[in-house]
Parts: sequence; C-alpha cells; structure tokens
Amino acid sequence: MQKTPLLTRRELLKVGSSLGIGSLLPLSALSANTLQTQARIVILGGGAAGMAMANRLAKRLQGGTITLVEPRETHHYQPGWTLVASGVWNADKTMRPNAQFMPRGVNWVRKHATGIDADNKRITLTSGEALEYDFLVVATGIQLNYHLIEGMTPELVGQHGIGSVYASIEGASRTHQAIQTWLNSGHGKGIFTAAPTPVKCAGAPLKMTFTTLSRLEASGQRDAFKVDYMAPGAGLFSQPWVDEFVKQRFDDQGVNRRHYYRLSAIDPHARQAEFAFVGPESEFTSHHELREAEFRRDNQPSVIADYDFIHVVPPMSAHDFVKQSDLIAQDGPFRGEWLDVDIHTLQHNRYPEVFGIGDVIGAPINKTAASVKAQAPVVEENLLAVMQGKTPPAQHTGYTSCPMITGIGKAMLVEFGYADNFAFMPSFPFIDPTDESWAAWVMKDRMLQPAYYAVLEGQA
Amino acid sequence: MTIAGAITILTYALAPFMWLLIIVVIVVTGLHLLAYLRGYQITRYRHRRTTLLALIIGLTAIIWVPWLTHSSLGYVATLFDWVALLGAAAATFLVALLILQPLSYLISFHNDQ
Repeated sequence: MQKTPLLTRRELLKVGSSLGIGSLLPLSALSANTLQTQARIVILGGGAAGMAMANRLAKRLQGGTITLVEPRETHHYQPGWTLVASGVWNADKTMRPNAQFMPRGVNWVRKHATGIDADNKRITLTSGEALEYDFLVVATGIQLNYHLIEGMTPELVGQHGIGSVYASIEGASRTHQAIQTWLNSGHGKGIFTAAPTPVKCAGAPLKMTFTTLSRLEASGQRDAFKVDYMAPGAGLFSQPWVDEFVKQRFDDQGVNRRHYYRLSAIDPHARQAEFAFVGPESEFTSHHELREAEFRRDNQPSVIADYDFIHVVPPMSAHDFVKQSDLIAQDGPFRGEWLDVDIHTLQHNRYPEVFGIGDVIGAPINKTAASVKAQAPVVEENLLAVMQGKTPPAQHTGYTSCPMITGIGKAMLVEFGYADNFAFMPSFPFIDPTDESWAAWVMKDRMLQPAYYAVLEGQA
Repeated sequence: MTIAGAITILTYALAPFMWLLIIVVIVVTGLHLLAYLRGYQITRYRHRRTTLLALIIGLTAIIWVPWLTHSSLGYVATLFDWVALLGAAAATFLVALLILQPLSYLISFHNDQ
C-alpha cells in the first residue's frame, strides 16, 4: 500500500510557483475572484486544453459541478513526439498519469463522448448515459483521418518503410526505427508529405524532415540518399517569413520540393505512394478549404512514386461526433470540419453557453500546446463572464508558437499571432525568432515540457 | 512573457533536478562546515592550483553543457546562446570552487597533522 506523502510533488510545485508569483504580484492579483454558482459545467476532452480548463475552473468556481469527460488514463506530452521520432528522447519521457493533473473536486468521467445535442444541452456517452450541462467547453482535440489515404492505416507505421509521427507515441517510436532502418540501408529515397488540411503542430512534418536530414548528414553518406518533400499547396508553413526560410533551407540541403501534390494512396508492400496532382488552381492551395468529399474526386491526374521511407501526415479534422453535431461550422472556411467559434472570444458563434479551445476550433492557425496556453485564460474569463450574464471581455490574439527544429541541436523560436499576416510575437526580446540558435533548442529540449505541465495545472 | 510566468516555468523545469541541487547544497555546506571547524575562512583561504582546477572544470562546461542538451558547440551561434553558455560555465566554475577550496584546505590540514 502506498503511503501518502506530507506534500505531493504537485503541491510542492504549487508552493514553489506561488512563492515566485507572490513576490512579484500585488495582493489584489493573488486573490483572483471566485464565482459562487450552481451551474453544471462539462469539459469534453482531457488533453492539454481540457485539463488546463479543469484546473482553472476548479480554482475559480465555488459550488456547481465540473465534469471532465476523458477516457484515457495516460496523458501524452505530444510536443515531444518529434523528439522521440528523431531518436533524441525516449518515449517514456512523454507520458504521465492523467490522475496527476486532475484537480480535486472535478468529476472525471472515464468514457468516450459519442454525441452532442446542443439544443438540449446534453452529451451522450459510450455507455448510453446522458450528461446534461449548463455550460460546455469543447476540447476534444483532433481526429487523424488515415482512412482518407487509400491503403494506409496507423498500424502500418513502422513497417514497410512507413513513418508517421502523429499516429501515437508508439507510432513515433516506430517512426524512429523506420528511419534508422532506412539509414542503415545506406542509400535510397525518402518522401516527406504534408496534409491538405489544418494539422496539429503544423511544423512537425518540417521538423521530421530537418531532423532526418541531420541524421543523414551525420551518417557521412548524405549523397547516397534522395529526399523529396511533397506539399499539397504552394506554402510549407503559415508564417510567411518562416515559409520562405524553410523553402530556401530545403533547397540548400538538397531536398527536392514538389508542390500541389497530395498523398492519395499507398501500397506498403510495393513501397509505392500515389500522389494526386491538385494543381495551383485547386482549393488545396488554401489548405483550410479542404472538404472530405474532395478526396473522392475522379479523373485527378496522379503520379506514382517509389520510396524506401515515407513520412505520412494524415488529413485531420474535428472528431466525427463533433462534426455530426450542431456545433460544427456551417459555413465559411471551416464548415463541416471544425468547431464554430469566434476566433477571438472562443465563444461558440450560435450557442453562447459553449466555448471551444485547442485543436478542435476552426481558426486559421492555433493547433499547438502554446496556443492552449494563450487560449485558456481567455476561455476562463469569458466563460465566467457569460455565467454572470456579461459580455465576454477577453480576446485571444491568435498567439501560437512553434520551436522550429532545423536540425538536431538547433531551432528557431517562432511565435506569431493573427495580426498583420501572422506577424511575429516574440515572448523574449533577446531571442530573435529568425535566428537559429542553441538556446531555442534548449527551450524545446528542456523548458517547454515543464511549461506545458504548468499550463495543464493552470499555473501558467 | 511576464517575470512571474518565467519563474513559474523555471520552478517546474528545476523540479526534476531538485535532488541534484539538494545533494550539491549538502556537499558544499558539509565541506564548508567541516573545514570551518578546522579553522577555514572562505574570505581568506586561497589556493592557486585549486582555483586553476575549478577554472578548467568551468571551461569544460562549454563543451559538455551543449552535449548534455543533445546539441553541440557548433550550434551555439547567437549572442544570447553565448551569454547563456558562458553563464553556465561561470556557474560550474563557482560550484567547483565552492567544493574544491574547502576540500583542498581539509586535505592540507590532514597532511599537516
């Protein structure tokens, strides 16, 4: 039987961070207002966004009930998966029990949600039970649509030269092994793909290319390997300066860039991939315009490419049960695929008692853990305001961050927001977002995971 | 980022290494206490070879600190990179000095007895 320590690690951290903050903030800021309520609040999803909201709301609300719907017992630090797939981290480093972050007083429902009835304010669970709410926070994350690539399943990752950092933590480890097997072969062609939809951590496909290039160069046999990058649109990254930088760097490092090609099918045994040429006139040039039906177009020109290793990035969307609900966007660029929220207040555009946070929302950027850090205080303030019958006062700037790994050991700390065509929003005046640096790499390797856990616990 | 936010994150970042920091503090305090009981005074005792050794240990940090972070000296490029790395080297020199100075005093004290 386990003994209960006098102070748990979590409590120790809270004391430490409170001392740090306490010495710098005026007393008024410390006594953040709590709200007395009898409301039933349901948070759908216990990833970075859902867990951060559970912790924040548990601190701010007195009375009422907070229910978190999350079936998984393990919390995955997904920003670390590119480091696992690159052989820098062990997989164990990215996993913690969800119970470690669950705040006291929150009702944790360990089941999948299967439906949202927004008109009747009701959630359906796998068990058939219904969960009624007065206020809802949708933080369900993202669905990986491997099935939209013919012949592809997540189980194939690690076999037949197929890698995919997104599949799972096991998939990230198997991707590392698949790359290593390719390197050990001493020659061959690697294809790196990108998805024609918004994806979580939009820099990950580029990071995987850069870290693999590092490993190829370190092998001393770079010239024996051919590397292609197949992009579905004209751009490689949403931030314009970074987009141009990555293109130039790929050219410098001998990566053969091909644009307007979407991975449409894969034949694992033959090690062949089929790419549909979507063309510069296609909607795919704006990757937010993709609809699932467009994957089924006939008579699209295509090319077959042989590979020795391929990194597959699946198309992504909100989960099916969210897509089938009234909460999904009904028009505009995110229609049918993403949650319909105001991208500044994060309040639902048609159901004012509903808020969205994290990967599930329809926003031009923002599918990162760093975005959750910026969004969580906004949702907290606005939800409490709505609970009191007030107008949401807080505005999300669109802040997001991508520590763009440009090689194993160096990175650029890219931070930007909605304004001025995704202009940079650097957190530290002494770190230039356009510089590759060791310090930015150290942040990715050592600092961002603790920062992430601080966000989860509502401390940052 | 606010200073408070940076301190919060630093607290979380240091938490896994708390055991190491505690060991260093215990070793440094223990050595200084032991040496003090035998007449050691931190402000007066100087030992040139010990200082030189601490300096060499500090300088080696320029190589092994990037290595510890899965990187290499070749990627230390910006002004801030160098400030951070030299700061790490200076901290290493200071810790080495705080351990080696009382240690050398204790060894010489033991040899004199």
